[in-house]
Amino acid sequence: MNTISIAWIVLPFIAGFSIFLVPKLDRYLAIFAAICSMGYALQLITSRSTIALQLLDNFGVTLLIDSLSGYFILTNALVTTAVILYCWQSEKTAFFYGQLIILHGSLNAAFACTDFISLYVALEVSGIAAALLIAYPRTDRSIWVALRYLFVSNVGMLFYLVGAVLVYKTHHSFTFAGLRGSPPEALALIFMGLLTKGGVFVSGLWLPMTHSESETPVSAMLSGIVVKAGVYPLVRCALILDEIDPIIRVFGVGTAVLGVSYAVFEKDTKRMLAFHTVSQLGFMLAAPEVSGFYALTHGLVKSALFMLAGALPSRNFKELQHHPIDRSLWILLAIAGFSISGFPLLSGFGAKVLTMKNLLPWQEIAMNLVAVGTAISFAKFIFLPHKPGVNTKPIKLGFWLAIGLLIGGLIVANVIYFEAYDAKNTIKAIAIIAVGWLAYLAIFKRTAIKLPRMFEQFEDLIGVMTLVTILLFWATFV
Amino acid sequence: MLEAFTLATILCGFIAIIFKQNLVMKIFAMDVMSTGVIAYYVLIAARGGVFTPIIGNAKNNGTYADPVPQAVILTAIVIGFSIQALMLVGAMKLAQDHPTLDTREIEKGNTP
Repeated sequence: MNTISIAWIVLPFIAGFSIFLVPKLDRYLAIFAAICSMGYALQLITSRSTIALQLLDNFGVTLLIDSLSGYFILTNALVTTAVILYCWQSEKTAFFYGQLIILHGSLNAAFACTDFISLYVALEVSGIAAALLIAYPRTDRSIWVALRYLFVSNVGMLFYLVGAVLVYKTHHSFTFAGLRGSPPEALALIFMGLLTKGGVFVSGLWLPMTHSESETPVSAMLSGIVVKAGVYPLVRCALILDEIDPIIRVFGVGTAVLGVSYAVFEKDTKRMLAFHTVSQLGFMLAAPEVSGFYALTHGLVKSALFMLAGALPSRNFKELQHHPIDRSLWILLAIAGFSISGFPLLSGFGAKVLTMKNLLPWQEIAMNLVAVGTAISFAKFIFLPHKPGVNTKPIKLGFWLAIGLLIGGLIVANVIYFEAYDAKNTIKAIAIIAVGWLAYLAIFKRTAIKLPRMFEQFEDLIGVMTLVTILLFWATFV
Repeated sequence: MLEAFTLATILCGFIAIIFKQNLVMKIFAMDVMSTGVIAYYVLIAARGGVFTPIIGNAKNNGTYADPVPQAVILTAIVIGFSIQALMLVGAMKLAQDHPTLDTREIEKGNTP
């Protein structure tokens, strides 16, 4: 199994470089690597085995692969496969597929390692590959968005490096467990880097513009899995060290509330989805033990939603309300919206119930309010007018295959936590959705409040990092 | 003392990223910041001594530099340099339409 694990980490990189050598095989190599990851992750989840590897000496690379990372890896594999299928018939060059599969490989590595330096390398590689994918159209705007993303994440990671060396100074090793006993500034700096990279709380305000201004497949990839590479190490640290757990949970609730309060007022489809990603990252951090399943359902549904939103004739909700959309698109949008609002029969329900069960008492009220906010945000999609056969954009076969894979995954994933189906949970879920829809129809459909794009300017994004560091420092000190 | 200097370098770079208007200056400021981080790693490596850690030279009572942070920071230098190169290419592309490279203007032109 150890050899297979190492081969699995290396495979996407080999595939990525081979694509540059043999450009004709681009999509075949890419999809082969993604499917291999899928098989590996499924094997991990079903066997519930834990693989702990320590390469070289105690300075060396440590890997820990268990069923928690299995869920993240499975999400990564499914989202990557769907994105490749989505792009199959498009004019994308070999460069695109090469970067895509290198991004996939670096995320796999980030989900497997448990030491700060391998994590740093994996996150930086994923940052570079993601920036190249964002800049793929070569327009001025896409280049600016990519530069902004690279800048913010690299500055965050420089602070992270300082934190990592402080951990080394105390323990002579870079493992996650070394955070215990390290000075509080080490923890504050490392977490600030990860919060920035993962798009959590106010340091995640770079995320909405980056995710909404990228091309559809890239947005799906970014929102579906790339941000989770920043969240996974936080979750892992919270599970290894009990004293960090409360800090992560507080940040989780804060992020969920912040993201959803922007999402309910947003009038642009892709920006709404991006803000909603921020709030869902909060759900993952609010209950670290069960974040894997939540990440899986969120990754599937969010990439499907970004692809569907890309097929709609307009990005503005006001315009969409006046022109009926195609009925088949609407049905898929409604299924995805139902899943993310936690409606029974779809795995979003199981994930929400499992997360709610693992919350601490003080988190419950806030998180239930956030669930209502989610229902309000997605009512915007569900209550759009629709008619059969009014499609304006031609839709390719690859699109249906990708959506079929993602939505099918949502239905199959129900088996992971079928214990969720009892009368109390079902009634609660339906009540939350009903309250959300009532609030939408009564209040939010008519409001015309437009939240300003404050704090989303470049200087603010960098400046906010200092505030988050101070906050973290204070939180670890108390 | 040296520690304070390296940390000051990091801070100078960070402040310059916020306050410099020109995009290229911002990229250089980030380089200053990463120079500070690298210097900090080297400094931590030199806590125990400054001799090259090779077994053959075992006559100076074990006052060797710690090889691990140095090896680690080598990776970070390579990554930092490639990011720097990538960003400068982006800045070159942007310079065609925004010759002044003023960040506020670029941002205004590219925010929907």
